[in-house]
Amino acid sequence: MKTYKQPSTIGRFGEFGGMYVAETLMPLLLNLDKSYKKIQKDKKFKKELNDLFKNYVGRPSSLHYAKNLSKFINGPKVYFKRDELNHTGAHKINNCLGQILLAKKMGKTRIIAETGAGQHGVATATVCSLFGLPCYIYMGSKDIERQKPNVFRMKLLGATIIPVESGSKSLKDAMNEALRDWIKNVRDTFYIIGSTAGPHPYPKMVRDFQSVIGKEAREQILKVEKKLPDYLIACVGGGSNAMGLFYPFLNDKKVKIIGVEAAGRGVKTEETAATMTSGTPGILHGSYSYVLQDKDGQIKEAHSISAGLDYPGVGPEHSHLKDIKRVKYFGINDKEALEAFQTCSKLEGIIPALEPSHALAYLIKAFKNKHKNKVVILNMCGRGDKDLFTAAKAIGFDADE
Amino acid sequence: MNNLDTLPKKKILSLFMTCGFPTLSQSKKIFNEILSHQPDVIEFGLPFSDPMADGPIIQEANKLALSSNLSTQQSLNLIKELSKSKNNTSFVIMCYLNTVRKFGLDKFIKSIKNIVDGIIIVDLPFEEESEIKKSLSKNNIHLIKLISPMTDKKRAQKLLKGSKGFIYYVSATGITGSNKLDFKEINKNVKFLKKMTNIPVLVGFGIKSKKDVLEISKKTNADGVIIGSALIQKYFDLKMDLNKYVIGLKKFIQEVKI
Ligand SMILES: Cc1ncc(COP(=O)(O)O)c(C=O)c1O
Repeated sequence: MKTYKQPSTIGRFGEFGGMYVAETLMPLLLNLDKSYKKIQKDKKFKKELNDLFKNYVGRPSSLHYAKNLSKFINGPKVYFKRDELNHTGAHKINNCLGQILLAKKMGKTRIIAETGAGQHGVATATVCSLFGLPCYIYMGSKDIERQKPNVFRMKLLGATIIPVESGSKSLKDAMNEALRDWIKNVRDTFYIIGSTAGPHPYPKMVRDFQSVIGKEAREQILKVEKKLPDYLIACVGGGSNAMGLFYPFLNDKKVKIIGVEAAGRGVKTEETAATMTSGTPGILHGSYSYVLQDKDGQIKEAHSISAGLDYPGVGPEHSHLKDIKRVKYFGINDKEALEAFQTCSKLEGIIPALEPSHALAYLIKAFKNKHKNKVVILNMCGRGDKDLFTAAKAIGFDADE
Repeated sequence: MNNLDTLPKKKILSLFMTCGFPTLSQSKKIFNEILSHQPDVIEFGLPFSDPMADGPIIQEANKLALSSNLSTQQSLNLIKELSKSKNNTSFVIMCYLNTVRKFGLDKFIKSIKNIVDGIIIVDLPFEEESEIKKSLSKNNIHLIKLISPMTDKKRAQKLLKGSKGFIYYVSATGITGSNKLDFKEINKNVKFLKKMTNIPVLVGFGIKSKKDVLEISKKTNADGVIIGSALIQKYFDLKMDLNKYVIGLKKFIQEVKI
């Protein structure tokens, strides 16, 4: 393989990606792209971001050898890249800090964002509070219901939450509404997109900000294992935590990479969010990528117990990595994820979010009694606090008892 | 022959309506009423599940149309049937790219050739258009351009170069159905566009009434207007009663034909 160098200057990852938005937004995206390119070379920006990573987020996040889980699997040595220890409880804050610094540099005075699980909403509200900017979060009413703790968090942080009632009332619809807000308020507003989705330059920019995960993990594993890992595993919703871990390893041919999508009630059912297993290429939210759609190109509703993975699209870079076969993608259903959620809590003393529970479930299922002497890094991209009510209900535990 | 090449010089009226709204059979009646007034242009909206650049009214129209599983083929059949009595009216399709892509570009063009004069693909920016534009122009279908207040001079020049049909000037930075009209700014921007192009410049987004139409005509240099959300809003105002709606449409269209 040649050195991996994506996307192209117009935001193409192979044939995927691009900028499919109304003309009202085009000048903004081009301007954003220009500003982003400029700050990438700005030493002061880098320093500012690194200071915030270190002192505000608590980076680097640790690389934990999950001894008990490894023993249980009876296969490879499993390491967790612990981004769930970050301030606000997930990887989302890495990206939000990068984008809000950029927003400041561009002189924007109002921040909007979409959120599914609420983790990106919380991270956005947090950085807005830190930088003193007004914050508006679009969130599907179905997600407001199932991610209550995060809704309260956002409110405490001073954000305004705008419930979205259209479509499936979840992440996809929240993103539609946020884009509409942006079209209406182009002059003063910065849209902090929470994943490697949307039109160029977002997929690239979000990947770059998140790739601190993979950079750290690479150094850390080389230190403890004196070699690169044999496998990387991460869950994929829009794909930001996964790209963050994968990107710094893409040129290391020997490292096998696995993305795990949410299959809801199963990849063969209509109730799934496994875009790359069950979907076909199409255009959603300004980018060309795999999507769940019908024969006329109408976007289907996704289904997953995990609000953060409940999205009928996926970032274009993942579509590219799938097609060039650099990364393999698999689906894990709700039930398997819930089981892994409990196994990890019990064995390792870490309550994972439902999103990385999908990655855990794949690891347990596919590596059981196999791949001994191999080393795996799994991205523990979020903690489970936000999911306690959902999980309790699904498991049949009466939390009010 | 492309009807868009012989649009009148001034006071052009373009009416937007969603195909299959509220149901396919009712939609036929609605379009027949619109067509009976022989407006200069009719824009046929193809419903999409995620109409990113549309406001609540057109979103609702899309949702209603799709709730009875309307297919792209059915919309195109409807347009074909109506074209028998199109006379001098220009037919323009307004849609999102995924609809065309999934139907198949060649098949799509084949279905609308000699029926439709122009197409607006809302989420297909200049940067991504070359292949589609080539295929369309081979079949004498014009790719209509949107220009917004955010489009700067250099970009506008690029967009206008070789443009045919008309220019759709988005009067407010906003989604369809937005309500603020700033005539001064519209006039300034339209004037500036007209210096760079010979094709008509129509103003759309947020035009609601005869008063708006008259003011655009009096206070700006625009060659005409596009009305969409206001047309659809009437249906909801009239409590979704089709007979009343058709009568209401008649009255409204007579008013805005200045
Ligand atoms: C903890 C956690 N993991 C993963 C995701 C999915 O997003 P992505 O695929 O962009 O990492 C989310 C989204 O909300 C999340 O909260």
